[in-house]
Amino acid sequence: MRIVVAYKWTCDPEEATARADGTVDWSRAKPGLSTYDPVAMELARHLAEQAGAELIGVTVGGKGVGAPIASKAVLGRGLDRVVIVEDESLREAGRSELAAVLAEAIRHIGDVDLVITGDSSVDVAAKMVPTVLAGELGWPAVAEVTGVTGTGVQAGALRVERAIPGGVQVLEISGPAVLAASADAAVPRVPGMKELLAAAKKPVELLELAALKVPQQNAVMTVVDRARPERKARKGQLIDTADPAAAAAELVAALRAAGAL
Amino acid sequence: MSVNAWIVVADQPTVGNLVTVARSLGGPVAAVVAGPRSVAETVANSGVDKVVWCHAPDDAPPEASAQAVADTVAADPPRVVLAGRNPGERVLLGAAAARLKAAVLTGARSVSLDGDTTTVVNAVFGDISDETVAVSGPVALLLDGGSVPPPAGSSAPIEEITVAPLGLKVIETRTHGFEKVDLNSAHRVIGVGRGVKAQEDLAMVEELAQALEAEIACSRPVAEGLNWMGKDRYIGSSGAHIAPQLYLAVGISGQLQHMVGVTGAETIVGINTDANAALFSQTDYGLVGDLYQLVPAITAALK
Repeated sequence: MRIVVAYKWTCDPEEATARADGTVDWSRAKPGLSTYDPVAMELARHLAEQAGAELIGVTVGGKGVGAPIASKAVLGRGLDRVVIVEDESLREAGRSELAAVLAEAIRHIGDVDLVITGDSSVDVAAKMVPTVLAGELGWPAVAEVTGVTGTGVQAGALRVERAIPGGVQVLEISGPAVLAASADAAVPRVPGMKELLAAAKKPVELLELAALKVPQQNAVMTVVDRARPERKARKGQLIDTADPAAAAAELVAALRAAGAL
Repeated sequence: MSVNAWIVVADQPTVGNLVTVARSLGGPVAAVVAGPRSVAETVANSGVDKVVWCHAPDDAPPEASAQAVADTVAADPPRVVLAGRNPGERVLLGAAAARLKAAVLTGARSVSLDGDTTTVVNAVFGDISDETVAVSGPVALLLDGGSVPPPAGSSAPIEEITVAPLGLKVIETRTHGFEKVDLNSAHRVIGVGRGVKAQEDLAMVEELAQALEAEIACSRPVAEGLNWMGKDRYIGSSGAHIAPQLYLAVGISGQLQHMVGVTGAETIVGINTDANAALFSQTDYGLVGDLYQLVPAITAALK
């Protein structure tokens, strides 16, 4: 069995600010492994251990995603090898284009049974790349996956638990599939020194975007304007809490006056 | 009939907002439903022009019909395909987008058609910036589905197709016992963060909620990880976006990921022990102090 974990090496918007003209200033942000990807890697690792599967990390993106620090960070999390498409033209790529490139990278690897991803990327948080990827591959996708057990993707061998509104559902999967893990699907282990040293020796394969023959998109997107959204001005009033009862009374009076109660 | 907008539906008929947006674009609107027949019937009553219902085996989840949904949409290719944010809906939209080779946008504030160009104002990076994007070619939009639409005067015809499902089968469904909630309809909402130390302490927050006639919501880790509430109660960039009259944040630090979900609130109150919490730059009324003293005091003051 061969399992791919698709991950993203990117910056957290928590460390970015929008300038007055709406452009985003990333200068204070440091790229890292996207917040929920370690969860996907942990989930995949558990399954790979059960099934004796090979575990391969795949990422596509702009310059930097193939940096040694990035590969080491993911290989230290128990992946056997990584396959990377690093091309600056992908920095501003849309969800569909990224999914199409991922699909070609997965076809290049060959004989992949399962793709596991995180819940969402920390920067764009669209939650759509895994589902478009499944569409590109012609495979089923399941999102909000909270657990997966099994030994392979032959009929009846793989079971997936996923969150649905109001509960959970257990699904049986036959054939290859894309699974997007929920944010709390597993508790990621922190790689130790031994794992990081081993990571430095694991194979890293860099693929040329041009060699992948990614099909053209039918849609062309152009950003024609940017703006920083208007935020409601907040009063920013602090209420003295030395006496909790007095503070509560002051708050309730203020809220009544503001028409909030 | 050449379809201008397709609405993609899984097993919930919560498509009110999707129908409104699709209708605002003009032209014929069709829906493809991958859930039970009853959902197709509700959607057919919502003001769309036609419905295609994917008839799959009873044990197939909506996602098993993803290829059939993509085939249906591609057979009558639209300018725009829309879906709600539930997991099943995202999977169906992804399949349709891949087939159409469409642009995928998930933060649309407005959509308009102008000649061959579709213009979308799209919030990006945790809503810190609004990008206006001009798209030539098909567009797939992930939007808040909205509520179940009120029945329209007449019902659209339902065309049934038989689906050979992808390799997914439902073995078991369990409810988790959390009460479902529609935070968007609440006038007042209390948000619980990690500052609340134990699940038993939610009782204290519930008393305040009763006195305020408020719904209880939370930050993401409280629903995912701590598992104290259903996932439909967490607020933030990947959770609920609400605009109540009053939002009262209790033990919440005020990180961007959470606060983008409440920027529309009329009044924001924050309680946190840390005077330097990011929360206090985003509140109308800030109370720096112990929530275990302040929450009961506010409950008492309201009585």
